[in-house]
Amino acid sequence: MNEPDTLGASLARTGISRRSFLKFCTAMASLMALPPSAAYAMADALNRAQRQSVIWLSFQECTGCVESLTRSFDPTLEQLIFEMISLDYQETLQAASGEAAESAREQAMKASYGKYLLIVDGSIPTKDGGVYSTVAGVSNHDLLVEAARGAAAIVAVGTCSSFGGIPHANPNPTGAVSVADLIRDKPIMNVPGCPPIPSVIAGVLAYFVTYGKLPELDHLGRPKVFFADTIHDRCYRRPFYEQGKFAKTFDDEGARNGWCLYELGCKGPTTYNACATIKWNGGVSFPIESGHGCLGCSEPDFWDKGSFYKPLAVPLADNTPTITAAALGGAAVGTVAAVISRTHQTHIGEEK
Amino acid sequence: MDLLQFARGPTLTWAFAIFAFGMTWRLVGILLLKRRPDYSEPRNATSWPGAIKLIISRSWPHREFIQRTAFGQTLGYIFHIGLVIVVFGFAPHILVFKGLTGLDWPNLPNAIIYASGAITLGALIVVLGRRLIHPVLRLLSNFDDYFSWFVTFAPVATGMLAVAHLGARYETLLAIHILSVALLLVWFPFGKLMHAALVFVSRGSTGALFERKGASI
Amino acid sequence: MSTADIDSMHPLELNQPRFSVKNPEPRYDKQGDMPDAQRVETAMRYFVKDFGAVAATYMESCIHCGMCAEACHFYVASGNPKYTPIWKLEPFKQAYKREAGPFAAIYRALNLKKKVTTQQLEEWQELLYDSCTMCGRCTLICPMGIDIAALVGLARHGMNQAGLVPHELWAVAERAKREGSPLGATPKVFKERCEWLADDNEVEIFVDKAQADVVAAMSSIEIMKYPDSIVATAKILNHLGLNWTFRSDGYEATNFGMLSGNSAWQNEMSMKLIDATIAAGAKLLILPECGHAYGAMRWQGANIYGKPLPFRVLHISEFLAENTKNGALKTKPLAKTLTFHDPCQVSRRGGAIEAPREVIDGLGAELIEMQDTKGLNWCCGGGGGVVTIHRADPIRYQAFQIKMKQIDDTGAELLVSSCSNCRQTFDDGQDHFHWDKTMLSLLELVADNLEDK
Repeated sequence: MNEPDTLGASLARTGISRRSFLKFCTAMASLMALPPSAAYAMADALNRAQRQSVIWLSFQECTGCVESLTRSFDPTLEQLIFEMISLDYQETLQAASGEAAESAREQAMKASYGKYLLIVDGSIPTKDGGVYSTVAGVSNHDLLVEAARGAAAIVAVGTCSSFGGIPHANPNPTGAVSVADLIRDKPIMNVPGCPPIPSVIAGVLAYFVTYGKLPELDHLGRPKVFFADTIHDRCYRRPFYEQGKFAKTFDDEGARNGWCLYELGCKGPTTYNACATIKWNGGVSFPIESGHGCLGCSEPDFWDKGSFYKPLAVPLADNTPTITAAALGGAAVGTVAAVISRTHQTHIGEEK
Repeated sequence: MDLLQFARGPTLTWAFAIFAFGMTWRLVGILLLKRRPDYSEPRNATSWPGAIKLIISRSWPHREFIQRTAFGQTLGYIFHIGLVIVVFGFAPHILVFKGLTGLDWPNLPNAIIYASGAITLGALIVVLGRRLIHPVLRLLSNFDDYFSWFVTFAPVATGMLAVAHLGARYETLLAIHILSVALLLVWFPFGKLMHAALVFVSRGSTGALFERKGASI
Repeated sequence: MSTADIDSMHPLELNQPRFSVKNPEPRYDKQGDMPDAQRVETAMRYFVKDFGAVAATYMESCIHCGMCAEACHFYVASGNPKYTPIWKLEPFKQAYKREAGPFAAIYRALNLKKKVTTQQLEEWQELLYDSCTMCGRCTLICPMGIDIAALVGLARHGMNQAGLVPHELWAVAERAKREGSPLGATPKVFKERCEWLADDNEVEIFVDKAQADVVAAMSSIEIMKYPDSIVATAKILNHLGLNWTFRSDGYEATNFGMLSGNSAWQNEMSMKLIDATIAAGAKLLILPECGHAYGAMRWQGANIYGKPLPFRVLHISEFLAENTKNGALKTKPLAKTLTFHDPCQVSRRGGAIEAPREVIDGLGAELIEMQDTKGLNWCCGGGGGVVTIHRADPIRYQAFQIKMKQIDDTGAELLVSSCSNCRQTFDDGQDHFHWDKTMLSLLELVADNLEDK
């Protein structure tokens, strides 16, 4: 696992035909809307590529991102990815454990210093010296800082490492933060989602391996190729939104007819991700298609933006008590004003 | 907290509170002022039918006035009706009212909303132009007139920009739209927009008084 | 104040056909010698004093739509936006918002409405008096239902207290307070007139009966200028066989206290009529052909009295109508076409819209209505004191042209109305424009055409 070796050689060993390999490159290129020539560039680069060293650190996470990545219905695709890179450390997938695993990581980091790709999933706790998540007695914070030093770039996979995610939600007892909150001197790409779509992860990694740099990112550090559009703008139920046909409750007539789920709290209009186009489970479906509104899981603080079932148009707070109190208060002040005015009027004649 | 959360959260809470506070303050402050009893012999025994009559009939001028007022009156109705369609017919707006009052009603298709919004904006621009040009309106108009126009125009304009995804990211446009509505709510009780509530009180008062005298309504 | 205190810069000409001021060029009339700052303060305080919930509602409700201008004869005739009815109230709206409105404290703290200045009030004198008859057409057009005409009446209270009334109007009001009549028809003069009219016309005219069922009032305009009205009234009441009287302790129906804005004088003038009617034990007070007199007594009288009046109040046209309908009053048929000018205060503001038409019906004349008629008619332009104010003549003549056209367009042979102030205005207009129509009095028409018994 530690000796650098070309990808082409590795693929040949595994029995992947040149044809399958080119098919993969073409698929990846087209997925990222790259020109046809990019497929050949990708095949050429990948063939000669030293297998990219990848260190994958998992912090305060649920392992859902890793599970997503491996939940692939097209093993050939994922296996290709794992043959493209040299996954030198990944707690869930690696065989080693304990001291052996840690020493393997340190060796890989030293051998590929400045060149390895650091992937992070899970948020980083910072409260109380970061004791809430440690590996071998070392806090996630320190692990990250150390690993970031030698990284060529960092990919924050999942909403937790991109934006803080679930641990970051109110009241954030562990002081969870994102990678970008801590590391300022390395290129960081955020691939949010709770979890992200498998082929999104695969696509951006292939891009990095091909071009040696991160793809174009939006203002939140997300690759524009997958995160440029909102779910709403690509949603197949959009015509129903425009016609004004909405499901009002789950399993009502509108729901059964596949109408828009805006009134059931769908956050599609403000959520940027590729779910509506690439979909999940190998393109089978995505939440809206299955009848549940988008949760907005690839957006920062999606847990703190009000109920998943509260429509976007509706104010976050329950304002009725405030309004009632304000109305009564206003009536009281109005009464005082009227009394003062009436008293003033009565005394006008006398004031002379 | 991003801009949209801020708009949907504390901004709207404060805006609703100020709206409710200001509305009741102003209405109570007026309605509790002195009322004098009327000892004159009424021509008609009951006055309240006059209140209803005037509230309804004053919605359109008497025949004798139509020639001189039809243009302004029609213009006013175009944007008022446009606003009603947009505010009360667009599904996301109905959800807001449902959240506040529990009331729900059928929505209109978005295409009708967009068309109404465009017509409303056009009418509002003509209204502003007229106010700037017509000698009587130039004499009468003050800050209240222009600012009230602005806080009415802005939500329609920003709402249209939001659905068109024009000018910024959608979540930013939506936040600006909500903030513009908050501004409208905050200004409402203090300027001439209050006519939405006062129209009933003012017309009703005159209607009742005049019915009592048999005077022309 | 005696006539000696009257502004010597603007001496009065007492013997002109219309009581006037020498050289009425543009001026800002003032009474008394209050310092300017005090005038403003007084004006505002006395305006605020009379405010109630209804007036406050009106002040809060204006949306600056400008429609009121389109109803006003002064604006429509001249095209000058300063005559916009609600604009007349501008300083008082300011004062209300600063002093009496629900947000008054905020307005003052942040100085959102400036304190009204003397100069403003001087400029507004012309708007509130010279160019407003309180006809109420603006009230009918306002989409918010604001009774602008009534607010002008309230504003005049403030102006009066501040000594900012146009000179002639103030002078006639002062004369009315002092002598009992704005035009010199003192009780003595009135009694004398009744005597010689009775003689001349061989009609019994009862004055100062100790007890009567009906008390009749007159206006000084009729007493001094159209005395045939006195004769006509007597004739009709005698014809009906009623126990009626004039009372020299209460005969003046006009109320220049109300027109100038002096509440104290208004009350005094109304109470004279009320007390006289009660003293006579009468159950009916008949008001003469006068517009503002009707509003003053029929609708405001009881409130000045403080409780319901112990007698009915009818405008002479209502009285004639009642007796036409019940058949007591029969007239010889009048084979003429006529058009009727509705006096604003009796018709639109007062509610006695059908009464004159019932009388005309009884007269058997063919009534051709003007295009804008009944409660929607155009004002003659001289009411509310306007015809008294000479510097207002130009704008009044401009507005009068609307009325002339309306009447000419009917093609009617006769022009009839039931208000002697309108009559004065029509006569003056006729004279100025060399018009061919003379306004006739409905009352006199009935009296002249009574069927012999």
